[in-house]
Amino acid sequence: MKERIKKAASSKVVVTLVWLFGIAAIWEVMAMRVAETKRTPANILPHIGDIVKSIFDAKMVSNNMTAVQLVLSNASDTLLRAFWGFLIGAIVGFLLAILMKLSKIVEKTIFPYLMLIQMIPILGMAPIILAMTHDIGASRIIIAAILTFYPIATNTLAGLNSVQKEKYELMYSYSASKWTIYRKMLIPACIPYLFTGLKISAPMAITASILVDTLQGDGGLGCILSQSLKHAMSIYVFWQIVLFSAAVGILSCTLMGWIEKIVSPMKRIERKQNSIFARRKEAQYEKEKEKSLATGE
Amino acid sequence: MESVKQEVEIKINDVSVTFKDNKGNNVPALNHVNLDIKKGEFISLLGPSGCGKTTLLRTIADLLDPTDGSVRISGLTPKEVRMQQKFGIVFQSPVLFEWRTVKENIELPLEIMYWNKKERSERANQMLELVGLKEFANHYPGQLSGGMQQRVGIARAFGIRPEILLMDEPFSALDEFTKEKLHEDLLRIWAKTNKTVIFVTHNIAESVFLSDRVCVLSPHPGRLSAVVDIDLPRPRTLEMRDTPHFNELVAKVRNSFEGGSL
Amino acid sequence: MRKKRKSLWRRVNENTYIQATSGLLLPMAFGVILFALWQTEVLHKIFHTDTFTLPVPTRILSVIVDNPDKVIQNVVATVTVAVIGLVIGSVIGYLVAIIATLFPRWGGGGLSIVAACNAIPIVALAPVMTNWTKDVSKDANIRSMVAKTLVVMIICIASMSVNAYRGLTELKPFSLDLMKSYNAKRRTVFFKLRIPNSVPYIFTALRVSIPASVITAVVSEYFAEYVIGVGRQIRENIVLAQYTAAWGYITVASLIGIVMYVILMIAERILLRRR
Repeated sequence: MKERIKKAASSKVVVTLVWLFGIAAIWEVMAMRVAETKRTPANILPHIGDIVKSIFDAKMVSNNMTAVQLVLSNASDTLLRAFWGFLIGAIVGFLLAILMKLSKIVEKTIFPYLMLIQMIPILGMAPIILAMTHDIGASRIIIAAILTFYPIATNTLAGLNSVQKEKYELMYSYSASKWTIYRKMLIPACIPYLFTGLKISAPMAITASILVDTLQGDGGLGCILSQSLKHAMSIYVFWQIVLFSAAVGILSCTLMGWIEKIVSPMKRIERKQNSIFARRKEAQYEKEKEKSLATGE
Repeated sequence: MESVKQEVEIKINDVSVTFKDNKGNNVPALNHVNLDIKKGEFISLLGPSGCGKTTLLRTIADLLDPTDGSVRISGLTPKEVRMQQKFGIVFQSPVLFEWRTVKENIELPLEIMYWNKKERSERANQMLELVGLKEFANHYPGQLSGGMQQRVGIARAFGIRPEILLMDEPFSALDEFTKEKLHEDLLRIWAKTNKTVIFVTHNIAESVFLSDRVCVLSPHPGRLSAVVDIDLPRPRTLEMRDTPHFNELVAKVRNSFEGGSL
Repeated sequence: MRKKRKSLWRRVNENTYIQATSGLLLPMAFGVILFALWQTEVLHKIFHTDTFTLPVPTRILSVIVDNPDKVIQNVVATVTVAVIGLVIGSVIGYLVAIIATLFPRWGGGGLSIVAACNAIPIVALAPVMTNWTKDVSKDANIRSMVAKTLVVMIICIASMSVNAYRGLTELKPFSLDLMKSYNAKRRTVFFKLRIPNSVPYIFTALRVSIPASVITAVVSEYFAEYVIGVGRQIRENIVLAQYTAAWGYITVASLIGIVMYVILMIAERILLRRR
């Protein structure tokens, strides 16, 4: 048994690696074609090797910094803003979900507007928000926060509403106070859902932060990204940012997964036992069962 | 034996419950039920689905207000008894909190009742031993089988030392082998604690095997059609199920249903 | 006294008519209050801003109404990009999911990589798309259109393929066993079981993709070569400090998303009414 699990895990890694290798191969073939036909291949699709080489290139690109120094120094600004925006968005989103759970009236009033917010092109509003806040850093944090709070609020609310009726009845039979019901039942129950929201919105905060930078000056990854595209500096700065932001985006999502494991030890054991897909299947089965029970009695 | 259990604890007085369906029509679920339950008695509410057995249990548990009539428990309303935290409830599904270990699940009501940490732990260990899940104390519910989960639910219900234990078809989702084992466990624990148990089921043999009295409910509208005394000696053993007397009692219960064929 | 109040509360709670209408009335009331606060410039005091940065709603609406031709021209450009990208992307995404289902061992792993794409700022590729599509056409308008559509497409492929794969593989318990007991062919299992099972998941994907496709279209317009589209108008007007017009186009962009979402909801109601 143990050996079979080990085999499956390793094969999954193998599958992923083969895919990554395949994608890299396709990239290289395309890059080769581009190199043959285009005058400035680096603007379209450079070889992966060239991008990697540019990371270790000691040539100064701007302000006495090499390309990689430039990317990393600007990244810290962008990521810090993304982090604060994410944190504020997460707290506001979580509290809003609790508030909606506490009061049906609040839920009915606010929920449609939550849906609306994701339709508004918040990114485009960056300069307007800047004009309102008069502080470029604050405006960027606010934008990241607005973009992140929506998935967290809706997922947390879904988690709060997912608690079975019997659990309420059990708490009721203990004549537990509202506070106790929230502390011992509702909040622990919504934690996995909260993390689903966090996993969605963490990369979103980073994306938002980068994109907002491109629309304004004053440093940041997006800012040098657009400068690089306008050929104010080496185009490889752009490609480095693409790779860097992809890596950081995935890392932020993985990081949420790690935090979840630390917060809920139950998760750790569950993961060991069965894959996410199997667990979803079980949840679906439970739902079916509940449905049939509800109609039966 | 009978003399010990004379004191009436729960008085169900002319209770009727009417639901509204989604078209706004009144649907009677329970019709004028009268029943006295004695202290320390093991009583079953037996009937097919739609007979209102669960509804009756829920009115006793204060999960539902009767439309008419009243329930009194030692002179108190169900709500007052609930506020004193004297009910233990076991549902059809185990209703365990999946983010808590088995032991933490048993400790949950004790936390709500402000037991201190040491007492909680001692009581939980004691209950775990009683249901034979000592080595699973630190497992999570997701790691246990259905039967084990239901056992945790029972341990949790008995853990709070309830005056009245309410069980709503607790074993109906389990296989026959697990069920028989849990029957024995339940009777063993009950004999030790001697609480009043109200046990809802649709299984005739189960109700006869477990109970002092079987209350037979019939549907359309839900009503109490018979109360059958079960005079099998205690402690009960699985072998009793094969005796002619047991079968007679089962037949007697089966024949007391009203309202057409079953 | 206390008991009486509670019973009134309960009556309100149990009245299905009140419950149903309150779901509509409460948000509308909230909207009206918000509108009133905005129009009377109370909102401006709260946010310490002025009517130049945050014009009153009637001014914003009048800007939209006064330039119908220009607004429609830009809306058409944005909607075309969003819808074409959405449709092509979703179809490709579904096909990818089918292929992944046919080869579960390799497909599942491939899709986990696609799922990781959600964590990548794909919109950041919008600027380089312009370089990629340089040879598509001599017409800058078509060129940018293709570039923008490609970005929308990639986003939609990611969300559709991951969701549809779940729909095609996470079947109801025992349904596959049942099919096996009929000795059903793989093709039959696909058409009778997997594809119908995936329909609700398609809608789940679309509910994510539709707002995403509009937002992506709008954001790619910022970086596009040819100046057209609602998103580009937002940017151009902001650069010129014409905040009223910018707000007008922000409103229009939001309306596009809302209208598309409502259409999806209606379609879902009709198609899934039996589930």
